[in-house]
Order: sequence, then structure tokens, then C-alpha cells
Amino acid sequence: MSARVGLVLLGIAVVGAAVPWLAPHDPQAVDFLGRLQPPSATFPLGTDHMGRCVLSRLLHGLHVTPLAALVVVAVAAAVGTAIGLTAGLVGGRLDQFAMRVVDAVLIFPAFAVALAVSGILGIGLWSIVLALAGVHWADYARLSRNLAVVERGQAYVRAAEALGVSFGGVLVRRLLPAAVPHLVVLATYSLSWAILSFAGLSFLGLGAEPGTAEWGLMIAEARHHMRAHPLLIAAPGLAIVTVVLGLNLLGDALADPATRRRSPFSRPIKLRAAKQGDASCA
Amino acid sequence: MPSNRQRQGAIAADPALVQALTRRLIYGAGLMVGVSLAAFLSLRALPGDFAEVLLTYQMAGEIPSQSALDRFRSEHGFDAPILMQYLRWMVAALTGDLGMSFRSGDPVIEELRLAVSATLWLTGVSFAVVLLGIPLGVIAALKAGGWWDRLLTGLAVVGMAIPNFWHALLFMLLFGLVLGWLPSSGYGTWAHVVLPALVIATSSVGVVARVVRRALIEQRQALYARTARSKGVAPLRVLTDHCLVNTAAPVLTVLGLQAARIFDGAIVVETVFGWPGLGRALAEAVLNRDFPMIQGAILVIGIAYVVINLLVDTAIALIDPRARASL
Repeated sequence: MSARVGLVLLGIAVVGAAVPWLAPHDPQAVDFLGRLQPPSATFPLGTDHMGRCVLSRLLHGLHVTPLAALVVVAVAAAVGTAIGLTAGLVGGRLDQFAMRVVDAVLIFPAFAVALAVSGILGIGLWSIVLALAGVHWADYARLSRNLAVVERGQAYVRAAEALGVSFGGVLVRRLLPAAVPHLVVLATYSLSWAILSFAGLSFLGLGAEPGTAEWGLMIAEARHHMRAHPLLIAAPGLAIVTVVLGLNLLGDALADPATRRRSPFSRPIKLRAAKQGDASCA
Repeated sequence: MPSNRQRQGAIAADPALVQALTRRLIYGAGLMVGVSLAAFLSLRALPGDFAEVLLTYQMAGEIPSQSALDRFRSEHGFDAPILMQYLRWMVAALTGDLGMSFRSGDPVIEELRLAVSATLWLTGVSFAVVLLGIPLGVIAALKAGGWWDRLLTGLAVVGMAIPNFWHALLFMLLFGLVLGWLPSSGYGTWAHVVLPALVIATSSVGVVARVVRRALIEQRQALYARTARSKGVAPLRVLTDHCLVNTAAPVLTVLGLQAARIFDGAIVVETVFGWPGLGRALAEAVLNRDFPMIQGAILVIGIAYVVINLLVDTAIALIDPRARASL
């Protein structure tokens, strides 16, 4: 059930993002005479304090926060998975050291650290993305390391090693496919974390640039009018909740073994024929 | 049931416990050094050069000449080897000298002291609310599948999806401005704590309840619990003395994680409600490029969480002998 609700919520977001011409107006078109209008046929969600169409800004916002969050997750997942799988496969001292570092990263409040890091790097979109990825890779490293330790002892990995498949080959062609379903689950949760964090930083004035049609920023700008125009903070807030709730429900469903049995990810990994050498990807 | 004295004797005698605690202490000490290094290096890693940033600030924004800059560097020891600079900075920090805030001109340590006490008040109340997740989770586990269980799951799911800055504004609008039950912002009385503490706690209380619920359901189905029940131990006794004790490790772990999330929440919530705490101080320092203040905040937050982590691990090791080997 939750999977379907999640997919529906995300579907709304994807459709909204894929069809920008759904937006009735230019999200940046300022009209001071028509500011703070109530919803009407021309402006379905009314206008903000600068007379900009709220619905258009909401739809264009789909291209800002979720996209930035995707980049954060992609960077964190790539770096964290590479470190985690390597540590798990090598084992020994390297593994212990890597996991101590991961533990250290995970005990601190992630948002606070990202905030401080972006304060040092300078305010801007890229420093935020880097800072968020910089605190988030550790989750991927821990998960993929634990998976690598389990898979390392499995026959298909040992067989590959015995056949002389290179280290990189075992990592990329054997361990990575086994880790992907678990990484996908983590990625849905971490996307929602990244969206909330990015919107939060934008709300504080540290994420998206002023004037951008970004949800957190829209809420910050509408704060002073919220008593008289609650819709101005309700609409972007609901947009965030829709996407995040959709992702979380999807993650819950993917993590649930009952769903997993039916999912395409769960096919057992087949031992490949030996002639399909893996040396090329080392 | 072993008496308390017997239990204490068993704890003192267990070499695994002593080893685990020693390992944790060494790790914690290493982390403290790491935190201090991170705080020190954060300003040295600034784009440009901290000596230049500092002098520019002291000259009220005027760009210093190269000769003035060189003189400033040698006067303040910026030309010393980096290790020397670090040690000097450490000695100063340990005696309470963290420099002056760029924004207010006051000593950073004074600003931090006020901010930390305000934050401890707020996060302490939030944490107390989060602890309510334990009894809520126990009830949900005992009545798994019932309406209460479903309500709680719903609360957890929604609580995690609501951005806390938006939640803060909604509470402020509803309870502060429309209904007028509570002050909508400010600091000083218990009435001021209620709204921000509730907002911070909402995203965590459901998570804790869910962990408690799952752990307890698992324990109640375990063979030892069935054995105890079948040999006639009272069900309540089985729950409190057998099952709940065994859920301690995962529950303490999740509480430790929530301690970090509570501070994350406090940053935004303090800013919205005008609460003069460490979270707001950090956000304002970042916005105003008040580097000495950022550094001080990194140091305080870092050390606080090393200590919290140490306490959580110690508590787990004391309660659950099985966890000692892995700590």
C-alpha cells in the first residue's frame, strides 16, 4: 500500500518536473500591482509578495531542490560506496581505519557540520552540495562495507578470485551488483534527507540564491505575510512534504522483504561464465 | 534476580567491559584531538588566508597593504610552523581564549557560554519529549496492528517528512498568532520553550517509538521469553525484567542518533523562534562570515557530541554484555 502511495506522490512530482509548460506563467515575472493576490483562474495559487505566480514557482522549484539533492546523493553514494566496498574487500587494518573514520563522521549532527563546512567554503550552491555530500558519504561507506564483508565469503566471489579476476573486477562486477538493491533503499531515504537539508539551508539564506524559485526560500520570503496569506507558506511546504513523503514511503516499501521478493532487483546474482573475463574493468 | 551488589561485582570483574571502555576512551580522546584539529584548520583552510581576513576585519574592511600584512603575520605568529600555531591556539583555547566575534566584537567564549545554556534548555526539553517515544513504542508493540500502532506509524512517517522550519512556522502561526495560546517567539519563560521543543521533538519521537516497537516485538517472540512465560513467570515481569532489558542496546543507539538530530533541528527552529541558542549562533555566524564564531561553534558542538557518544557507548556496554566485544 505504502509503495503505491509513494509512487503516486513521486509521480506527481515527476510529471510536474517533466512538463514545465504546465506552469501558467514565467516564475520570475514580477508584477507589483498584482502582488499578494488570492487564487484565481489566471493564478491558481495566487501571487506572492512580488506578484509572481506561486504555482509556476512551485513547479519550477521541482528543478532546483530535488535536482541539487540528486547531485548530493550521487556524489555521496559514489564516494561512500567506493570506500566501503574497498574497505570491506581488503579487510584488516584498512577496514578498521576506514570504519573508525566513518563512525567519527556519523556521531556528529550532519546538518550542523554541513552548515559549518559551507560557512568555511563560502556561501553558494556548490559549497552546499559539497558540504552535504561531505557528511553523507559515511552512510554509504558503512552500508557497502558491511555488505562487502558478507559477500566476500560467498562462493561466487571466491570463485572469481580463484579464477584470477582482478581486484577492481571483483569490486565492480561482483560486489557492486550485489550491493545495488541495498544502495537503492538507502538512496531513497538519503534523497529525502538531502531535500530537507537543502531546503532548510535555503530557508536560512544559505542555499539557493535570493530570487530563485526554491521551496525553502519561498517559505522564508513568505514568512512575513503568513498571517494574512497562509497559502504562501502552505503551498511550498506541502510540495516538500509530498516529495519527501513519497520517497520515504517508497524506501519503506523497497526495504520490506515482502515487496523485495517481487522486485526486479531481487533476482539472485548468477555466476557468470569464466570466459567472460573481468580484467578489462580493473 | 541477582542483587545490585552482585551485579556491580560482575561488572567490575568483567575484563571485556574494562577493555571495551578503555578502547572507547582512547577513541574518544582521539576524536577530541580530531575535533580540535578540524576547528583549528577550518580557519586556515579559508579561501585566501586567515591572517588577511583577520586584519581586513580589524581595519574595518579596508584592504591591508602587503607590508602591514607581513608585520601582522609575524606579530601574531602566523609565520610560525603550522604545528606550532596549532599548539599555541590549543593553549589559548584551553584557557578560554577563542578570539573575538567579528560581528559583536565580544569574546567568542562569552557568546558561546550564553548560547550553550540557551540551547541546553531547549534541547533538554526536546529530548525529554523524545523519550516519550519509549512508552509509546512499548504500547504499540503490545497492541501491534491496533489503531494506536497505526496512528504511531503514521506519526513517525509524517514526522520525518515535514521540514522542521515549515513545521515551526505552522506552529507559530496556529498557536502563537491565531489562537494566541503561547508566545510566538522569544526566550525566557517556560511558555517560550513549548513550541520550539515540540517542533524539534516531532521528527524524532516517532523514530524512537518505531525502534522500541520493533525491538520489543522481536524480543517477545524470542525463545527465552516464551520459556519464561511457559514456566509461569508473570507476563508483566517477563516484559520488564526480560524483554525490555534486551531492547536497551538498539534503543540507546537510536537515542544517541536522535541527540544529533535534535541539534540539527535546533539550528532552524532557534532561528525561526528567535531563541538565542548555539544553533542560531552558528547559522548567523555562517551568514555573516563571522569566522572566529564558526570555529568556536565547531569546537563546542564537536566536543559535546564526542562526549554524548562516549556516554551512550558506556551505557550500552554496562547494560548489554553482548555488545562489549564490538565496542
